[in-house]
Amino acid sequence: MSLHEEKFSILLSGYTDGELIPEEKIEFERHLKTCVQCQKEVQVFQQLKEVTGAMKYADIPEHVWENYWRGTYRRLELGIGWILFSLGAIIVLAFTCYALFMNFFLNPAEPLILRIGIGILILGTIFLLVSITRERIFAYRRDRYKEIQR
Amino acid sequence: MSVAQVDDSILIAEIAEGDKKAMKALVERYKRKAFFLALGMVGNRDEALDISQEAFIRVFKSACRFDRDQKFFPWFYSIVANLCKDSLQRREKRDARAIDLDESDFLLVDDSNPEKKMMIKEQAQILQKALEQLSFEDREIIMLKHFRDLSYDEISRLLKIPKGTVMSRLYYARKKLAKLCDELA
Repeated sequence: MSLHEEKFSILLSGYTDGELIPEEKIEFERHLKTCVQCQKEVQVFQQLKEVTGAMKYADIPEHVWENYWRGTYRRLELGIGWILFSLGAIIVLAFTCYALFMNFFLNPAEPLILRIGIGILILGTIFLLVSITRERIFAYRRDRYKEIQR
Repeated sequence: MSVAQVDDSILIAEIAEGDKKAMKALVERYKRKAFFLALGMVGNRDEALDISQEAFIRVFKSACRFDRDQKFFPWFYSIVANLCKDSLQRREKRDARAIDLDESDFLLVDDSNPEKKMMIKEQAQILQKALEQLSFEDREIIMLKHFRDLSYDEISRLLKIPKGTVMSRLYYARKKLAKLCDELA
């Protein structure tokens, strides 16, 4: 496509939408009289406008709109709640790990076999928890019917 | 002056101070706009609802950083558009894991036009499939012009691109859409 043709192709959209300035419109209409390709494209674009003009987006039920603000605020509260909960949990967990490590795993008074056993038990529990949580989150995101009350 | 009449930038300043009434007023003012913008981009009502609510939460959280010299809506629009992009990327990953998507129609025929309703209903289904196959940028500009009926100036302000770019992006997007509709018909 030459630069000249490209210029008119782009003006074509503006022409279809009535967005050209008078000088551009006159120039484009002059070109349109002689260009079969542009005539076809104008027709296609106008049809497209006509078809989309007769359509609208599907709305959601009115009760969803009525509860929209409540739902948004609840999500905000939940978000803040989770952040605070996570922060608290991290601090408590970090302290517990530290205390457990210092007072139990590094304590020579405790039998070595017990320390190894409990260490493995803790690791296994963490793996299981992470795996189940990830599976649950994945299943929840895939569930198309989560909004339906059973 | 009631909260409903207050300017957006004042509402944002009040939200930054934690005012719940201002949050509610902003949500009530823009909830439908946010939902339909998201719906146009992701084509799924559940996802659109989710995204629109998340967009408001982002606004509440970053209200203190909002530049009051700027207009609120273009900022809000960019939040919605970014969330839609993220959602579509996640959907692509889900698709790769062969998960079915919501196939419900998001485009409906306008009831005010009963004569052409049947014919246009078929076209709506084709158009819906064609729109789903467009790139995010193409679908976005088609949605803004054809379904939100914004002027080139408004689109230009919203997408922060020159008016000439709006015209050219719209031209190429329409061309692709028309071609896809032809292939699907």
